Amino acid sequence: MSAYLVSVLTEGAIFGIMALGLNVIWGWSGDFDLAYYGYIAVGAYMTLVLTIGPAVAPAQYILGLTLPYPLAVVIAVLCSMAVSLVVGSIALRHLRGIYFSIVTLGAVYVMYVLAGQYVPLFDGYNGLSGLFDPMGDWFGLDYQSYQYFLMGLCLVLFVLVFLFMWRISGSRFGMALRTLREDERAAAAFGRDIYRLKLKGYVLGAGVGGFAGALFVAYLSAFNPSAWSPVEIIVLYAAVLVGGRGNIWGVALGVFIMGLIVQESTRFLPEVPGHPQIVLALRGVIIGLVLVLFLRFRPQGLLPERRYVDAQPKLEPDARPV
Amino acid sequence: MNAPSKTLDRPPALAVRGLTKHFGGVYAVEDCSFEAPAGQVTGLIGPNGAGKSTAIDLISGFKLPDTGTVIFKDRALEGLPPHVISRLGLIRTFQAPREWPGLTVLENVVMARWDAGREGFLRGLVGLGLTQRGTAADELVRAREILDEFGLAKLRNERAGNLSGGQKRLVEFARIRMAQPELVILDEPMGGVNPVLGERMAVAIEAFIASGTSVIVVEHNLPFIERVTQHVIVMAQGTVIAEGPFETLRSNRDVIDAYLGEVVKQ
Repeated sequence: MSAYLVSVLTEGAIFGIMALGLNVIWGWSGDFDLAYYGYIAVGAYMTLVLTIGPAVAPAQYILGLTLPYPLAVVIAVLCSMAVSLVVGSIALRHLRGIYFSIVTLGAVYVMYVLAGQYVPLFDGYNGLSGLFDPMGDWFGLDYQSYQYFLMGLCLVLFVLVFLFMWRISGSRFGMALRTLREDERAAAAFGRDIYRLKLKGYVLGAGVGGFAGALFVAYLSAFNPSAWSPVEIIVLYAAVLVGGRGNIWGVALGVFIMGLIVQESTRFLPEVPGHPQIVLALRGVIIGLVLVLFLRFRPQGLLPERRYVDAQPKLEPDARPV
Repeated sequence: MNAPSKTLDRPPALAVRGLTKHFGGVYAVEDCSFEAPAGQVTGLIGPNGAGKSTAIDLISGFKLPDTGTVIFKDRALEGLPPHVISRLGLIRTFQAPREWPGLTVLENVVMARWDAGREGFLRGLVGLGLTQRGTAADELVRAREILDEFGLAKLRNERAGNLSGGQKRLVEFARIRMAQPELVILDEPMGGVNPVLGERMAVAIEAFIASGTSVIVVEHNLPFIERVTQHVIVMAQGTVIAEGPFETLRSNRDVIDAYLGEVVKQ
């Protein structure tokens, strides 16, 4: 297996976990959350400051512990959830639709600027680095075999998160989230506590995002503001939209397709001499184009959300449309 | 219909006292007081702008009253959020049908029953006592029965958003059957509904009463009000101007002036 394929599969699995978390918030609860990448970043940063040890001048950052990686991941996820609880409890109380999106955009921008400008937090724009092959020495892995180990780990965790989401998707909890998406006044009229239910879904999704962020830094070894410009969220939304919002199988398919586009779309484009940036820019154009075309022609995605089909044969033969 | 004496010894299903709500300088509801007898269908009529819909919003917790109180099952409802009022057993509908359009008709009916024990996140994950797609088997059976009753059985796997306006009204009625509240407030259920369907709704309202659900119905369709109600409350300009059985209101001068004029002349 080529090193290229290993890295694509590892990234794809992490990207898949991110998309599954976003699907809870946008796919099921129906909220267009722009702060989501912030929760991924919190997971990533916190994992680093909990594992890479004390800062050596001139670098500076909080904590600087050397906790075992799995423990750091758990704490990082809890931090993502805590931040999302603060943002969600403000943004979800009364705001919906575009107003909710604007507030979450503001929230992620605050996080972004804080991480970038407030140097003592995560060393500003330099960012953090130094998480090399976490858990690798437990199993005595060298650099080469560690890449396979991490790929396997990420794929297994993707499957576990997928199963977790599959469980939630069909549960009463998952159905109740969808009633909010479909018509929240009706949901309230039939006993649902809109605010608490939405907040639960929001924190759950953010926790999954933070988890993906924690895995992401095991792969990247480092994290800094250039790794998470708020624009990154567009690719995640594109994956959920293309695959099928609300359908976890669709989300997995969307991740595969968008991963393919991001990795491969520009491979066959000719280089423009003297303008190395053009190919990279075209990649963004292609992603945007895919997003627009799907919004216009197939907003439900390739695999629309499936509904429960009741197969019980009926006694009454006619439905008497009225 | 029910003899009034039968219900005199029962406390009212709902008591509204001195309810007031203003928007800016406009008093939408002003010192509105009435009682809805238990085990009966109470009509709430009045011209456009009389404050009927605002009154419903105030009763069901979707809007906060400025002053006044709403008593339901010996509890004051004002200030409680809508979901708490719903859980106490008071469910309302809206002027426009509010189905969950992306869910199937069957799912709309199943999800009409709020279930504290099974709707939690952890329960969803562990899935104790759950069957197919989070729907307990007996609930499915009940939902199918109800859909059969409303002639919606064949449409049960259809997304509710694809139904006609009249069919959506029936889905709302089916949801109420499923939820089995003690009191339901129907906000203009006859809006955009043909006479055949209207008769089916009248029968459904009678079935609500038979199953122990008291009914308040807001409606402009007076033949329908006459057909289904035992008690009618007339609102105009935010307050109650008359009440009683529909027959007695026909001769009430205030009611004629405010609202009925056209109908009585016919």
